[in-house]
Amino acid sequence: MKAVCWMGKENMEVHTVADPKIMNPHDAIIKIARSAICGSDLHLYDGYIPTMESGDIVGHEFMGIVEETGSAVTNLKRGDRVVVPFTISCGNCFFCKRQFFSACDNSNPNAHIMEEAYGSSGSALYGYSHMMGGYAGGQAQYARVPFANVGPLKIENDLPDEKLLFLSDIFPTGYMAAENANIQPGDTVAVWGCGPVGLFTIASAYMLGAARVIAIDRVPERLRLAEKQFGVTTLDYSEDDMNVLSALRDFSGGNGPDSCIDAVGLEAHANTVAGIYDKVKQALMLQTDRPTVLRQAIQAVRKAGTVSIPGVYGGVLDKVNFGAAFGKGITMKMGQTHMQKYMRPLLHRVEQGEIDPSFLITHRVRIDEVPGMYKTFRDKQDECVKVVIDPWAA
Amino acid sequence: MSDSALSISPAYLHAMLSGLTLQHGTPNVLAHSVATINCPAGELYAQWKKLDAIPLWQERVASVKPLTDRTSHWVMKESEKKTVEWDAEITADEPGKRISWRSTSGDVNQAGEVRFEPAPGGRGTIVILAQAFDLPGGKAANAAAGILARSPRQTVVENLRHFKQWTESGEIPTIQGQPSGPRGVTGRAKEFALGETNPTPPGSQRSA
Repeated sequence: MKAVCWMGKENMEVHTVADPKIMNPHDAIIKIARSAICGSDLHLYDGYIPTMESGDIVGHEFMGIVEETGSAVTNLKRGDRVVVPFTISCGNCFFCKRQFFSACDNSNPNAHIMEEAYGSSGSALYGYSHMMGGYAGGQAQYARVPFANVGPLKIENDLPDEKLLFLSDIFPTGYMAAENANIQPGDTVAVWGCGPVGLFTIASAYMLGAARVIAIDRVPERLRLAEKQFGVTTLDYSEDDMNVLSALRDFSGGNGPDSCIDAVGLEAHANTVAGIYDKVKQALMLQTDRPTVLRQAIQAVRKAGTVSIPGVYGGVLDKVNFGAAFGKGITMKMGQTHMQKYMRPLLHRVEQGEIDPSFLITHRVRIDEVPGMYKTFRDKQDECVKVVIDPWAA
Repeated sequence: MSDSALSISPAYLHAMLSGLTLQHGTPNVLAHSVATINCPAGELYAQWKKLDAIPLWQERVASVKPLTDRTSHWVMKESEKKTVEWDAEITADEPGKRISWRSTSGDVNQAGEVRFEPAPGGRGTIVILAQAFDLPGGKAANAAAGILARSPRQTVVENLRHFKQWTESGEIPTIQGQPSGPRGVTGRAKEFALGETNPTPPGSQRSA
């Protein structure tokens, strides 16, 4: 089959590789109908995620048709149409039983690496470094899906793939970010980042009763899309006279937003001295992550408010204003999405027509075009917001 | 906390580890691991005692054959080229609670004990595994092997992890044999350094 492989920093290549096989009793093989590039894949592309190995098949947003099932798979059969969550969860451990699916104890074959780095290991992910399990990903024509009784969401409607694909990650991720933000009716919510996760976070914040949402970014077409799609107020932080903190205070009637959501993560950009400081330290490997947005979110949020973090962080952060977090008594919630908890209810919202998740797709490509699209997406060229892949298109 | 509540304190573990006696000599490496498994103690005890199932979840164990009620013969593939064999005996056995063992002859000199304690709040069973080894090279060899992610100490951790995965989820997760693009020299070096070249035990239905 054809697969997109990480071959080193800023080097993705399409290779012809062996087809995946059933290796464990709960495995299924999925013939992939649609896949996507996630913003978090750009952290791999840019070389910020450790324990990638050259040859790794990447991609964790995919859906398709069940091709084959292992001997212990009971709720899927050949021909079923499924969306696959990006997290791999056993369904039987303490964490899965409490719906903390991304904290699964039993899916990561390389748990010892993450134990050393983080103290304990979370669930494995597809195509996202060997610390996270090293499983081959879904920017390919087929994928092996472990624990298939627990992961894949069976689709029993006729909706097109493009309306369902984002149940694999970014819609649930945006929704959990909004849920983690503890939004109450009447609340004002600030969202940093109008990329795909930020856009779904905005949509979800309204679903959960936010009165007002303000979105912060610097990419004109993304700000326009957020405004057009959801009617949010937007702040372009790159404008000369823009002071984001003061604008947020004014917008929220002087209190600061009730909830601040960092949908950017470890590769934040900034126009400030602190931003340059972070870039230099990251380049010298003195810190791994650039927490510009996190600092701003902590500074902006109202007293006793909530900071929610769907943006990915990987390592050690420098100069985080923890005093402000303590001084205001804020709550912070974060982490990989507990996918299986959200996929079915969000599928229901799509089926009811509450949201058409395909609104953000800007590029539809063949698998051979994917390596080039990483650069286009990373550099926000060609007004790129979301890339969808048809791995079988010639 | 009531007096009867289990407390796996440093003193508790020290006592458990110092209780391990080799048939001859003194151990130079002591290792332990603790895991909570979402299964009843009796079931886990029974699984641990199934000799023919041990190669399904213990790293590199090729076969375990019973000799008598309390003794068995073990064959382990230390590498593609090197096989080690030994006899072992059970030194204590409390059904549903605890098993202790030690090697009696052959290529290894080791002892071990596993305890199954009910976890508070109906969270299954806390499994405590302690092992003592008399290794040629001792602590230094243990540390050197640790660089390759499989010191005897780490093997104890991985064996209990695999036991948990096998009993709790019905299989042991693996990526060995999955497709990839060309690994190249750096990719293969990383695989080795991260311990991924250690064969994953087959788990329930991947019998060899």
